[in-house]
Amino acid sequence: MPARLLVFLLLVACLGTTPASAQQVEVEEFVLPNGMKFLLLPRHEQPNTITAGWVAKVGSVNERPGITGISHFFEHMMFKGTDTIGTRDPGRDKDFRERQNQVRDQMNALIWRKQYDRYFKGEIDDPWDAANDTEELAQLRSELKTLMEEQQGRANTSRIEEMRSQLGAVQDEDTRNRLELAIDEMKVEQEAMGTVIKDEFDQVYTRQGGSGMNAFTSNDVTFYFITVPSNKFELWAWMESDRLDDSVFREFWSERDVVHEERRLRTESTPTGIFQEQFQAMFWIASPYQWPVIGWSSDLNSYTYEDALDYWNTYYRPNNLVGVVVGDFQIDEIKPVIEEYFGRLEGSETKPPQVVTLEVPQMAPQRMAVTGDVQPQVDIWFQAVPFLHKDRYALEMVAEILNGRTGRLYKTMVEGEEIASTAGAGVDARKYGGAFTMSAEIKGDATPEQLEAALLTEVELLKEEPVSSRELQKVRNRVTADSFRRLQQNFFLLLQLGYFEGLGGWEEINEGPARLQAVTPEDIQRVARKYLNTDHSSVATYYRSEDAAPVDPEIAALDPQMQAMVKQALSQIESETDAASLQDGLRQMEAQASQAPPQFQPALKFLVKKVRERIAELEAGE
Amino acid sequence: MNNRTSTIGISTFIITAAVAGQATAQSTIPAHPDDLQFEPLIFSPPSSADYRHELPGDIPVYMAPTAEFPLISLTLTFKGGEYLVGKADTGLGSALGSLMRTGGTTSSSPSQMDEDLDFLATQVSTSVGRTTSSAQLNCLKSNFDESLVMFMDIIRNPAFEQERLGLWSGDMVESMKQRNDDADSIMRREFGSVMAGDHFTSRQPTLSSVDGIDKDKLSALHQRIFHPDNLIVSVSGDFDPDEMMKKLTQAFKGWEGGDAIPEPPAPQPVAGPGVYRIEKDIPQGKVMIGTRSITRDDPDYFSFLLMNEILGGGAFTSRITSRVRSDEGLAYSAGSAFQPAVDYPGVFVAYFQSKSPTVALANKIIFEEFGRIRNEPVSPEELETARQSFIETFPQSFSSRDAMLGIFVSDEWTSRPDGYWQSYRDKVAGVTAEDIQRVAQKYLDPEEMKVMVIGRWDDIYAGDENGRATMGDIFKGQSTEMPLRDPLTLEP
Repeated sequence: MPARLLVFLLLVACLGTTPASAQQVEVEEFVLPNGMKFLLLPRHEQPNTITAGWVAKVGSVNERPGITGISHFFEHMMFKGTDTIGTRDPGRDKDFRERQNQVRDQMNALIWRKQYDRYFKGEIDDPWDAANDTEELAQLRSELKTLMEEQQGRANTSRIEEMRSQLGAVQDEDTRNRLELAIDEMKVEQEAMGTVIKDEFDQVYTRQGGSGMNAFTSNDVTFYFITVPSNKFELWAWMESDRLDDSVFREFWSERDVVHEERRLRTESTPTGIFQEQFQAMFWIASPYQWPVIGWSSDLNSYTYEDALDYWNTYYRPNNLVGVVVGDFQIDEIKPVIEEYFGRLEGSETKPPQVVTLEVPQMAPQRMAVTGDVQPQVDIWFQAVPFLHKDRYALEMVAEILNGRTGRLYKTMVEGEEIASTAGAGVDARKYGGAFTMSAEIKGDATPEQLEAALLTEVELLKEEPVSSRELQKVRNRVTADSFRRLQQNFFLLLQLGYFEGLGGWEEINEGPARLQAVTPEDIQRVARKYLNTDHSSVATYYRSEDAAPVDPEIAALDPQMQAMVKQALSQIESETDAASLQDGLRQMEAQASQAPPQFQPALKFLVKKVRERIAELEAGE
Repeated sequence: MNNRTSTIGISTFIITAAVAGQATAQSTIPAHPDDLQFEPLIFSPPSSADYRHELPGDIPVYMAPTAEFPLISLTLTFKGGEYLVGKADTGLGSALGSLMRTGGTTSSSPSQMDEDLDFLATQVSTSVGRTTSSAQLNCLKSNFDESLVMFMDIIRNPAFEQERLGLWSGDMVESMKQRNDDADSIMRREFGSVMAGDHFTSRQPTLSSVDGIDKDKLSALHQRIFHPDNLIVSVSGDFDPDEMMKKLTQAFKGWEGGDAIPEPPAPQPVAGPGVYRIEKDIPQGKVMIGTRSITRDDPDYFSFLLMNEILGGGAFTSRITSRVRSDEGLAYSAGSAFQPAVDYPGVFVAYFQSKSPTVALANKIIFEEFGRIRNEPVSPEELETARQSFIETFPQSFSSRDAMLGIFVSDEWTSRPDGYWQSYRDKVAGVTAEDIQRVAQKYLDPEEMKVMVIGRWDDIYAGDENGRATMGDIFKGQSTEMPLRDPLTLEP
């Protein structure tokens, strides 16, 4: 024991030599006359590359019912080009777009009026499904499809497909040549009609060595980023300022199909996706965080060009945008480039509107119970605080104390009681509201209710007893080391700067670690008592549906040929209600046991055990 | 300058462009990004010899110091991995990787070790991969000495404590129970089996293989892999190289060597070409289409690399993504990937997921693209874009110190010839349209493809409402139904 203490003291002494507060990143911050802010962080540690991006301070929280998902849809639209990028004929392309908008507006008017009506009356199961189209609607839908194919230079696609399928049956060479010639002519014709240069935005970057081009949309921000060779910063400035100046929402309707597929992929085809979406809808009472970032399906079909334009003019103005550049550059070299390119964006007199709906205090616990192809688990969400709130740091420290291999949840639930295979806590602090979250997945025969009780026991412990100084020191040491670790990659630096700025201020990257270090045991106890109360909580419990349940592990371990026999015997044992006849059976089995061949032994042993359990159960019931 | 609200077409565009030119008379913004001029970026790839040192016992050490942050990252990479484990013991590699770190050492109990490392905020991870294994240390430089002592204790003297082994196998059983919950995890497992047969890359642990893992087996595998005759070291972070050599020499002192490790075996698939399907009640069909390709050092490597880039590897710019996603809106993610292995031919795979009725159409388009890239030379523009993409992103591969060290270590383990990276860009630039067509003809035979489909088969087979495609269009409508295997035993 004394030896251990010595090690401990040495460790503390060692840590004393590292700075108590984290390294500061030196960000050059400036605002263009049009209101667009830039954060520049030169870093020569990763030579020859620049990672750059920009944040639009808009996300699903800025939406309203009817246009949910439009922020994310915009993210898709931003890759579809401008009057310069993505078209060989901007005039005719615009014409195509306008005609598509007219047709689709007519379609939507019909759907919202007639199809919705039929849906409400129970005549059709889905007002948006093409299979339920009226004749008029089907006509418009086909018109729209034709317009889209013409614009894309694919007007003859179906005719060409048809002719190609005939080609196989043709024996005569002359006919064959004629058909092939006709196909070639149709190809030339449709290409001449088309106005789109497919994915030119991506092509320009790709051939210049751009990589990792992507974007994401969250509840609060939309973030676009890429890495370019360090000699091509001007390319980034060109491409990004062009799409901010002049996006034309090309493929405005066809891209909806892609987003529907994305929704199917992420939300509807995963074990828990759709349930997590509904859990969020339950957790957030008044707040616009209640709808999913990807949007509800009906809204996804509904927003019009006017909705999009309105949204663009409100949220994609320079005073709502922040550019972030990290990498191998000199500030005085890229600043003039930024001023020239992004300076051309038209400023706006007005600021985007405030999100006025405040979340309301929850007055009673909420629960949902889910059955599906899913590992039994539990999620507990408590109403907590937004990103800028002073109590967030103490709540983050609560999560730190609970998490990790030597954290409280692992030690009690995973290692100690062995009721969980995983357990964790977190802070989901958004711009206008937040949650403290806990979750765990079961192990063995444990139930979600057991996990819930165990998680809440840890919460009560935090309220009752202050954390020890060693436990707190351990977490502080981790905060110190992580404050360096998270600055090591350009891309991760970019994400943090942009995201923090979107939520309230990039300075968090420098100030956050010190504010975490300052949290005291009293703070921790106070926030646990204040926020972690079941009255303000929503709980989701997940159960595995019976038909998806794997077989009993003990049966599964048996010889496959033996399993069917054992299962049959087991169902007889389970349905037997007479303990005496089971006792008889048990005696017979035990008598046979010694004579049974070795491959039968494990099965026999298992059945003997099950008979004993059933007898005990019956006797207890009497 | 914002002409979005204008209603007149082309004339507005011209006027706007003219106004733009006037308003910023001194502006140098070119009309199109292709007109931009760039300073050349002179880059020659680093030579591994400049970073390579040797410890006593001929142990290679690659060092890349930097004082940017007070952290040190040390990685020991060992040859050998899961392929050394027999089928009956599948999971032993994963158990070893986990239990070296969590099972304590001969002088420190598991929980004491956890607590000591955590208190220092030192991260230690050990893993046994498919073909290589590793141990990694990341810590503040101020406690590197103490951390190194614990790190070496973990690597040299693991105790594999029984209770932690029980915890590991319990967790493994829980994760096995979830095997059939997610269609993607079913796809990974079953497609792997179809492509490789019974091979270490396609095996997964079962209840009985996990039950059979014990301390003796763990120790035997540990001794076979984790010894200094089978080791390459790499270090980055804030340290003095001479001092680091001394510390490592000290840390490795008395560490006993072992035998050389054999090369991994090649896969021996038994499943033939055709359609394989698994029923799962999800609104999308998930599809993977695969065939064996080439090894990393095959002379066709660069031709294959560019062929794949143009076909489906190059994101939006590639043909499969462009047609399946952009043109038809059939999938969110569609493309192809090329994963060459070092010791045996790797796999080429095309993939997508689409709502059930349009699976057949997307599949048909991909097969059309197999045909097109075999029958027609790629366009000069496509070839140029693909070449430039690899050439221009090349310096990035060496941009971070850890990435650079990773390349050096992997190259030494796999005996990559000297000068490989120095001539990389020339080799990319040398690929021609004929090369691409030739490798497509050689390797992408539609008749040799294995197509795996997971979803609601009846809806998928029927195809789209416009009758453009059904699953009857390929392999004469034949398909093999594969059972959803029991998640714990993997028996059908």
